[in-house]
Parts: sequence; C-alpha cells; structure tokens
Amino acid sequence: MNKEEILQADEDGMFTITLSVNGELGQMIVSRNESLVEALRHYGWKGTKKGCDTGDCGSCTVLLNDKPVLGCMMPAVAANGGNITTIEGLGTVRNPHPIQEAFVEAGAVQCGYCIPGMILSTKALLDRNPEPTEAEIRKALDGNLCRCTGYVTQVQAVNIAARKMKALKKKQEKTAAKEAEKAARRVSRKAAKKNK
Amino acid sequence: MNNIKYYAFPSSVADAMNILLNRKYKALVMAGGTLVGKAIPATAETYLDIRNLPLKDIKVKGGKLVIGAAATFDDIDNSELCREWAGGILSQVASQCSSQLIRNMATIGGNIARPHSFNMFPVVLMCMGAEVMLETKNGKILVPYASLSQNKNLKPGENCIILEVLLPKKTKTQTFEFIKLAKTKSSWESYVTLCFSNEKKNPKFVVGALTPRPFCAVEAEKAFAKGAPAEEILQKFTAAIEAVKVTGYRAEAATNLLRRYLGAE
Repeated sequence: MNKEEILQADEDGMFTITLSVNGELGQMIVSRNESLVEALRHYGWKGTKKGCDTGDCGSCTVLLNDKPVLGCMMPAVAANGGNITTIEGLGTVRNPHPIQEAFVEAGAVQCGYCIPGMILSTKALLDRNPEPTEAEIRKALDGNLCRCTGYVTQVQAVNIAARKMKALKKKQEKTAAKEAEKAARRVSRKAAKKNK
Repeated sequence: MNNIKYYAFPSSVADAMNILLNRKYKALVMAGGTLVGKAIPATAETYLDIRNLPLKDIKVKGGKLVIGAAATFDDIDNSELCREWAGGILSQVASQCSSQLIRNMATIGGNIARPHSFNMFPVVLMCMGAEVMLETKNGKILVPYASLSQNKNLKPGENCIILEVLLPKKTKTQTFEFIKLAKTKSSWESYVTLCFSNEKKNPKFVVGALTPRPFCAVEAEKAFAKGAPAEEILQKFTAAIEAVKVTGYRAEAATNLLRRYLGAE
C-alpha cells in the first residue's frame, strides 16, 4: 500500500488533504471531526449551506465526483483526492448557469437557503437524464427540503433548465460543427496552395 | 469526539484487510458513512474508507445475482439487472430508502454490516435467502445472510469485510412483496417493514423494524405451507410478534398487513 493512501493526523489532530474544488486543485488543513461542509465554508466556499447537520435537509449538498452528496455527513478528510463542485463552481452573478437562470425565471427562490443544494441536485439529474419526467425530478430533489415553497416552482424550474440546457447543447454542437467545417476548409485551401 | 488518527484509502481488498487486521490501526471500515459517520466509536483510531475498492459491480455470475458490497442504493435503484430480478424488489426497496442524497452515499454492505432495526435490505435479503461473501483473515468465505448475525466470530467492518451479496438463482423469477409502514414514503424510521414470499414449498414472512434484526415468523410460514386457513396463519404470526415482546399498534399493523397480503379481509 502506498504511503499517500494513509493520512496521519498531526499532534493537534489535523489532517492535510488534497482535493479539487470547482476545478482548483489545492490543499486544506482540516480537523478529524470537521465535516466537508464546515471545511468548505471555512475555506471560503460559503455558497454551501449548513442546515440540519444530520443529513435530512440537503442544504449542504455538493457534487463529489459529479454525484450529489451531503456535505454534513461526510468527514472532510474523506473527500481527500476528490473533485468537489459547489454552487460557486456553476456560475456567477454576471454569468449564471442555465439552471440558476431557470430558478430565477420560475420564481423558485424565496429565502434561498436551500437553493444551492437544489441547483446542484438538478445539475446531477440533468447531466444524467436531460429530459426527466416530473416524477424523476421530484425523486432527484427529494433530499433537498424547502420550507418556503411547495416545490411546484422548483419542478417548473428544473423543466425550464432542461430546455435551456438542451438549447445550449444544440448551440454548442452547431458552433463546434461550424468550427470543424472552417478548419477543414483551411486545410483544403492549404493543400490546394501546396499543389499549385 | 472521536479519536481518529489515520484515514486510510486502500485501493485493494488485500490492503484494506492488512489495515483492518493490524492491531496498530484499530480500524473501522466505512463506506457511505450514513449510519456511523456521525457516531464513530471512541475505540476506533483509523477511518478505513473502502469507497475506492472495486466492490461496486452488479452482475450475474453462475446464475446468481451478485451485488458488490459498495454498490450504493442509487446504483441498485438504477441497475437494469436489479430492476428485472425478482420483479425488481431490490430496486423498489433501494428507492424507498430515505432521500436521493442518502441513496447516493449509503451502500448495501453498510446496510447489512451495521445492525439497525430500520435498515430495509436485511428484511428483503433474509426473505430471498441471500448469501454474503466475506473476506476474513483466513480468506474468502460464503455465509447465508440469515446466519451472519448469529456468528459471533464474524464482525463485518471490524474483523472482516463484506465483498458481495449473492441472490440465489431461483429468486430471479420469484415474486416478493415488500411493505414499509412509516410516517412518510421516504421516512427512514419505519414503524414496521415486512417482506413476503408466497412460494408454496418455502414461504417466507420476514418482519423488520420491530427488533434490532429482522426475524422470520417460522410457525406462520409452516402453517401457510400446509395450506392452513388464513386465521390460523395470522394467529401464528401474532404469536411470533408477541414472542419478541412487541405489542401495541406496531404489532397490530404488522398482522393487518399480513392479513391484507393473504387476502383475508
């Protein structure tokens, strides 16, 4: 077994872990009792919310290797070597992600505390299933509790997001195809020049 | 406050066993961490994270359905094999457990290794006559799931690691019925869980959530196999529940659910 597969605590019970958060590879020094949500917030990723701390409310949801997990149920050290995506990794105020736009458009945000978790659960759902049914949406979000609304607008938001992401994908595919065509033309032009 | 000094992330079962059996480490095996992650015993000094082990596969081998111990509830819920096997009972059970976020983390191995009355897979696995493949200090051994808890030498997660759960070939086409009675559909804390199989020669009536581990109502099963009238089966079933000292609404609910299953209403 490689040494790096065993992490040892220092005298104060702290561990140094390596992980990627929103695409940035870095190190965190975390205590043995610290949960992933606590560590992320400590290091400035405050979009991830701490709620019940018992795995019931889902406000601490983050994506670990593209799968939504509960940040409060996971020791921070256990995320060593993982790829974490928090709400900050999706979009910004100036350049929001289509899912974030959809939640605003549908009026699915009231107090907003549960929304980062809901958006990340939605992201994982739409990555896996771009056209979910209402039952599939409700099932995917059943771990993200909202105490303000009745989930109707959130389900609408996911449907809007699905349409947006589909349109975006089409646009990206079209652009890629155009770029490929341009590149092919450039190559054939060069080849023609050479032949001359 | 836990006393964890090491976090280990082995990538092979052999490495994991080396740590588990090394007294220096005082290791505790963790997979999803949803049951014990918040209550690590003070005696454990090493958090042995087995999520990197190659134990996630769900496949058919030798006619048996083999589920890797680290397969999550979500993996089982979405597995085509599990959806087809025994009328999809395993996927149905996996989908009824708690929330999607828990289902993404919790594993079938953890659900059977950590005894808890609310765990749902033990009830179904007992009803289906499942077997469990374990890695022990003496190598791999296969034990019937029903006898795992009675074997005092085998403590999954403490002195051995669950590798796979195996479902017998004959269960592929059998019909099972799983009933969970709880406050809400996704509530983890069930009042009672039941799993029935009405196979004529070998019926099974397994009751969960009333005791720390599920139990079979053996006399009621025998009465059913003999073709006894529904009232007699129900009496024997009630006696089995009384024998474990459970009374009140949960006992009544269990009997009523069996009554409904037998069509004796």
